[in-house]
Amino acid sequence: MFHTRTGQMKALLRQWQLQSMVIPGILWMFIFCYIPMLWLIIAFMDFSIAKPMLESPFVGLKHFRDFLTDDRFWRSIRNTLGMSSIKLVLGFPIPILFALLLNEIRSLRFKRTVQTISYLPHFIAWTIFGGIALNWLGEGGVINQLMMALGLQDRDILFNSEPQYFWWITFFTDTLKETGWSAIIYIAAIAGIDPGLYEAAELDGANRWQRMWHITVQSIRPTIAILFILAVSGILGSNFEQIFMLKNNMNMKMAESLDLYIYNMGLVSGRHSFSTAVLFARSIVALGLLLLANQSSKKLTGDSIF
Amino acid sequence: MKSKPVRPILAAMMTVTLALSIAACSSNSATKENMPTAAPQAEASPEPQTETKLNAEEPAWKLDTSPVDLTWFVGANWYAHTWGESLASKYVTEKTGVNVKLEVPSGEANEQVTLMMTSGKLPDLISMGSWETAVKKLWEGDHVYALNELADKYDPYFFKVAGDGTLKWYRQENGNTYGVPNDSYSPNLMHETGMTAANQTFLVRKDLYEEMGKPDLSTPEGFLGALQLLKDKYPEYKGQPISPFFAQGNVPYGMTEYLQNLLAVPHEKDGKVYDRITDPDYIAWLKTFRTAYERGLINVDFLVDSDTQVEEKTNNARYFMMIREWTGMSAVNPMLAAGANPDSYYIAVDGPQNSKGESAKLFPGNMDGWMVTMISKSTKNPERAIRFLTYLASEEGQRDLFLGKEGETWDSAGGKPQLKAEFAEMLGSNIEKLEKEYGIMDTYWMMRNPVIVNQWRPEKAPVIKQMEDFANAQADIDSGIYKGLDPLGDSDVAVAWSRISQNWEEVLPELITAKDEAAFDKVFEGFRSRRDSYGFAQVMEYRQTELDARKAKMAE
Repeated sequence: MFHTRTGQMKALLRQWQLQSMVIPGILWMFIFCYIPMLWLIIAFMDFSIAKPMLESPFVGLKHFRDFLTDDRFWRSIRNTLGMSSIKLVLGFPIPILFALLLNEIRSLRFKRTVQTISYLPHFIAWTIFGGIALNWLGEGGVINQLMMALGLQDRDILFNSEPQYFWWITFFTDTLKETGWSAIIYIAAIAGIDPGLYEAAELDGANRWQRMWHITVQSIRPTIAILFILAVSGILGSNFEQIFMLKNNMNMKMAESLDLYIYNMGLVSGRHSFSTAVLFARSIVALGLLLLANQSSKKLTGDSIF
Repeated sequence: MKSKPVRPILAAMMTVTLALSIAACSSNSATKENMPTAAPQAEASPEPQTETKLNAEEPAWKLDTSPVDLTWFVGANWYAHTWGESLASKYVTEKTGVNVKLEVPSGEANEQVTLMMTSGKLPDLISMGSWETAVKKLWEGDHVYALNELADKYDPYFFKVAGDGTLKWYRQENGNTYGVPNDSYSPNLMHETGMTAANQTFLVRKDLYEEMGKPDLSTPEGFLGALQLLKDKYPEYKGQPISPFFAQGNVPYGMTEYLQNLLAVPHEKDGKVYDRITDPDYIAWLKTFRTAYERGLINVDFLVDSDTQVEEKTNNARYFMMIREWTGMSAVNPMLAAGANPDSYYIAVDGPQNSKGESAKLFPGNMDGWMVTMISKSTKNPERAIRFLTYLASEEGQRDLFLGKEGETWDSAGGKPQLKAEFAEMLGSNIEKLEKEYGIMDTYWMMRNPVIVNQWRPEKAPVIKQMEDFANAQADIDSGIYKGLDPLGDSDVAVAWSRISQNWEEVLPELITAKDEAAFDKVFEGFRSRRDSYGFAQVMEYRQTELDARKAKMAE
């Protein structure tokens, strides 16, 4: 133990030029992620922007009581969990599959083209992409035309006015927009695999499926595990911009996620303490989920963040 | 060597970046050169000196016309005009030395200002919707100057031009006034001129309406009958389905406030604030809309369409009838009238009416006006800021911004300024060019005073005037006092109201899509009991107190 630690220190000192590059990142995180945590205290106050912070009265758990007794809060929890679960169960494997398939393509030019095209939508802002999606879903939109041409429906359906479709709309639009981008990290992990492994397997007579499963997938397993743990801890989060663009008065009961709830009930009326209280509670739950996922992953696969 | 084709592109990109940064540098240095001369001047001249020059009869901006930059936040994310390109803005900058840098919020104005308050850095001038919660916070948090104090110190001429009425209207309990409104109308003025700024109208597409034999839309039966006729005979226009109905601003505006005004639902009964949502006439009409939906005569597109979708349908005249502000149609209507089907524009007609057949009672303009403009305490040039506002509020400033430069955009005819004919024409044909290149008329409306500028407006195109006249005739001039009685901000009663009104936005679509009247009644009962549990009683109390206070203020 002692030996390895001094060994690590030595290695660290030897690489100080490289290691120092991480300092800006740490500083950034400290300033923007850790210092703001001090302000969590306003969750227990009646904070007003117009007054200095410490002059605001302490109110204990008032804001926590406020949202825990609000039926709309629980509805937003249900919606967030619903949308996140679909994303997690169905959405999580998609970029992995995409990366695996891409990896099997022989033509380098074709592979590059597909990869570039697939991650381009990521750079379109949700305000624009959402507008495009709304047109697709609207009267006379692509989806309606397609469904009618296939004989699956006989008149236009305003998909966005039917609450029951909303979770699926968020899932499909998100998949369409982000698959290519999310796959990049897997593609990078795959690129790091020693080609010698494939050659050896080929000599041993492994076919393509076997090579994909026993080499590619096994090699990127730690990456998958880490991303999965992070995805689980983010289950109470949602894509605010996406939902904000796609929601309307008719699908609100299925669309209001926790983020949107905080926005509607907190920020719109300038209730900063209330918003902070909800966010605080959410962070605690997220931390719990993270620890849980981390432990399970450690037990099941041996891979974990810490 | 694979990277070879990349290089020329890279080189080109770097050149562009470099060129841009050089351009940015040079424009920066140009303004910065002026800064040092302006700032020390303001500091160097001690107050007593300026005081001797101050004169309540003479605008003070003339004392110092050295160049100065003022940032001006306009709380409307759709506001797309710039300062310094157009004729009017150049003229004003030349005259007063004030170069304005316009800023608009990227999202919601309220949030952006709240954010800026937290950081303690505010733009020099701020214009915001008078109803926004952030306005109250700016005032209470001492983030903006009391205009009366600044005026006492730097430019007493302000009191002459700001109008005693508006100053008094916005005076706070501590005796200070922090903002000047634009588009503020006093009831006296409206009675005098007949210009009421009433905006909410019921519009129909002229050709369809006339072909259908001008059906009566004021009763539920007539309304449903017309929709049926529309569905049977005119389901399509230019190959696309007609959208029979549109309500602007969705639930809280078009389907609630505007519709209630069309039905002349009273605001108070025997001195008590009236709960308009439960009015029997209003409920009856909501049920009419439900029936129309059930029979497939209307769709719910007006409840779900995004702004872009609405705009597209409007521009293609795909709506048959609309509850909509006529000002929003002042660009589209002339365009439609000049198009291939010259009769496919919109006209104002009598829309839904109450069971007594009374004509609509539309909201007129009011004392609150639209936006209020304030001077933030972050400004380094409070002196120049108040003088600039005074100038803009004066007749001279109003004229410079609204009409532009004499000889170029307007001429004096019989002692009265008159917009040149070509620009009056451009107003109808190419308003974008007018606003971009000349910046006159309603381009810079932040300090617009209708009392002064309306006399200079050219006669409107008939297709616009019809809607305006109709609205003016139905305006309920004395109802301005009822506008915005609801509690705002983060107090308990405001939170209660916010929960209630947000819930209503979800409930109204449920009412319209309810499968039968029994279901409608049930949803509505559910809303009422939820409303009570959220604290509706306190909201009504608040409205009553607010109304009483306003009445007292008006009586002063």
